[in-house]
Amino acid sequence: MDFEGYNLDPAVYDEMFLTDGAPREHARHVYDALIRMSAEELTTVQGRVNRTFSSESISFTVYGDAEAEERIIPVDPIPRVLTAADWQGVSDGLKQRVRALNYFLEDVYSEGRIIDDGVIPEDMVRGCPQYRPEMRDFAPPNGTWVAVCGSDVVRTNDGFQVLEDNLRVPSGVSYMIANRKSAKASLPRLYRSSRVQEVEQYGATLHTTLAELAPGGKSNPVIALLTPGVYNSAYYEHMFLAREIGAELVEGRDLAVRNGVVYMRTTGGLERVDVIYRRVDDDFIDPLVFRPDSLLGVPGLIDAAQLGNVTLANAPGTGVADDKSVYAYVPDMVRYYLGQEPILANVETFLCRRPEDLEYTLDNMANLVVKRVGESGGYGMIIGPHSTQEERDDYAKVLRADPAGFISQPVLDLSSSPCLIDGKFEPRHVDLRPFILTGRQTRIVPGAFCRVALRRGSIVVNSSQGGGGKDVWVLEDPDQAQNAGS
Amino acid sequence: MLSRHAQSLYWIGRYLERAGHICRLLRLQSEALVDRPVREIHFGWNRIYNSIGTQPMGGQADLFGDEEFALADSFTLADDLTFERGNPSSVFSCFSEGRENARHTRHCISPEVWTCLNTSYLDLQQQDMAAVWRSDPRAFYNDTVSVINTFGGLTETTMYHDEGWSFLQLGRYIERAQASVGLLLSHIDTGESSESQEFYEADWISLLRVYHALEVYNHIHSAEVVPGQVLDLLVSDPLLPESLSRSINLAASEIDVIGRGPRRHSSRAVQRLTGRLSSMINNEWPDRDDHIDMLREVSEFCGELHYLVTAAYFEYPIQERPPGQ
Repeated sequence: MDFEGYNLDPAVYDEMFLTDGAPREHARHVYDALIRMSAEELTTVQGRVNRTFSSESISFTVYGDAEAEERIIPVDPIPRVLTAADWQGVSDGLKQRVRALNYFLEDVYSEGRIIDDGVIPEDMVRGCPQYRPEMRDFAPPNGTWVAVCGSDVVRTNDGFQVLEDNLRVPSGVSYMIANRKSAKASLPRLYRSSRVQEVEQYGATLHTTLAELAPGGKSNPVIALLTPGVYNSAYYEHMFLAREIGAELVEGRDLAVRNGVVYMRTTGGLERVDVIYRRVDDDFIDPLVFRPDSLLGVPGLIDAAQLGNVTLANAPGTGVADDKSVYAYVPDMVRYYLGQEPILANVETFLCRRPEDLEYTLDNMANLVVKRVGESGGYGMIIGPHSTQEERDDYAKVLRADPAGFISQPVLDLSSSPCLIDGKFEPRHVDLRPFILTGRQTRIVPGAFCRVALRRGSIVVNSSQGGGGKDVWVLEDPDQAQNAGS
Repeated sequence: MLSRHAQSLYWIGRYLERAGHICRLLRLQSEALVDRPVREIHFGWNRIYNSIGTQPMGGQADLFGDEEFALADSFTLADDLTFERGNPSSVFSCFSEGRENARHTRHCISPEVWTCLNTSYLDLQQQDMAAVWRSDPRAFYNDTVSVINTFGGLTETTMYHDEGWSFLQLGRYIERAQASVGLLLSHIDTGESSESQEFYEADWISLLRVYHALEVYNHIHSAEVVPGQVLDLLVSDPLLPESLSRSINLAASEIDVIGRGPRRHSSRAVQRLTGRLSSMINNEWPDRDDHIDMLREVSEFCGELHYLVTAAYFEYPIQERPPGQ
């Protein structure tokens, strides 16, 4: 099927095409295969992929006006192709970033040198709702506060930029693996001939990472994945990962703390747990320390972690480092802690707490994205060009009442990638969420969950806002492949 | 394994077994609608409702009611027992609960078992009684029974036979024993409560057919139906796939495999009760003549077994001392 009518926008980087409409060199192989396939073949492939997701219930839950609803993320069958060199840059940049973020967390929960040295304002850190004074002087194994990070990377004509770091309970990695599985099943010959780097080792890598963080370096630790339960939007992923890493999938009610040690209730009696990969937010994890009304958590869990009897991954309190204001300082953190220049750029960010940034934001709202610092998932934000004057006026009132609660960023021209829409190829905006794992060392699997804004022209890729997904093919390094062959 | 997961697996086994049991009874009803007298059809409905311990909306069917209402009544009752979301015993509710428990334990079951449960649930969700009625109700129940048989086969061939598997099987066997004894008692009670209390051979034949036992019965006893002999076969024949004896023996052997739980006295109580049940059915049944009283006792014991298993393995108090302290 040809690409007739595929509208290229010169302001937008297209993942498959150059501005003159010729396929990019690295994407040519996939391009050639696509134009050889008929529209019927492609539509059949798409249907098959989505049916697999439905029959296996690879789903997430959306909370709306009615009750929670199980939804399938729509999958686009056309892979997004990245070169090994592109990937190397993204991967090095993210590893560097996560190292700096771990140093930052260690610092702000102990001496606070970065604050004393005037790099970042104290009230921005200690006044952040995600800063947990209860975690002061906490020392997680190996200094790893963030064992699992999922950063959102976007590409524009200026290259790759990090849009945000998710350091609390990032999700989406199961879609990386499920999308790969369906890509292999639906385009087997193309996959094989494209020489794509594998992602299926993610489970093993996660297991290694978590095991490296066992208290006191204990070998063969008992690992459990703590989920809020079947009604959580990411429950499918929790189940999937528990299975991949051979961990028990526990809920708060399965755990109990006795004498500072965490146990789970098994059919053979209570069994000690060493490492908890927790997918429950800080607020709910321990009613004795955080929200007392939480039924999802385990009383005494924080105490057990502070005694060093159990490892919580990620550590509580990491949210302070992915706050949307603190985000603006991550490049400074890289310079401050590592003495290096950041490999990956940040998106330009205006902190409305600064009077001049507030003024700029109010004056230019029609061209900016304004976000609440504490929100995620595409909630609580306004996209200037897609809003009405009335909406902007309303939003401005809220913004003026609490400037420190907001940031703004220019509207990014997220790169586009061909998607199969109603039997035709059309460009849709995409982003990239790779997962960075830190145990004794930092590792990253060559792949990502690629989110797609399925509505024409939309730049909102969040699954809860109607986004879809597609597979990301990181190609093997042609030089290395040649060397290996000779 | 985690108690909560063991409990969910146990319930998956129970719900799917329950769905299968109801489906087989409904398949029989849908066959009866073609050529059997109204009395027999209504007897069948009353027997089903008595066995699950509820009443149909509008009360028991009148055995000697009008021919012209028999089909309409049957439609309503079949819908109630098949698709009614509000009826916890309906086939749909059982699938829905079984799948819900499987959602909690997807990492403990094989992808094949999950996909089987999930797709059949999604299929059922799309259907309704009117469409089933228009096409071929018998084929519908047959297909659903097939799915449940496939589910059983998949648990056998694609799951690791660990403790979780044993709890799933235990759920099936306890449910099977309970449903079985419930049906036998309901059959007897429904017959006794009818006005004429006449002996209807066809009712006993249909009972044999629920258990796939008609040919076996004819083979062993010739074609003359003697209620006592039917009961003997359905209760105490260890070779009949769904006899009470076989269900109880299988449950007992799963309990043996699972072994002792964390609270010694609770797991001993479980073992004592399965021992008592299997001794009643295997040893005492042939020599006693108070069979109906025995069945009532067995029914009570099966219910008790469920509670004892729950207390011994799933819901023991967590205030227990941690190991080694």
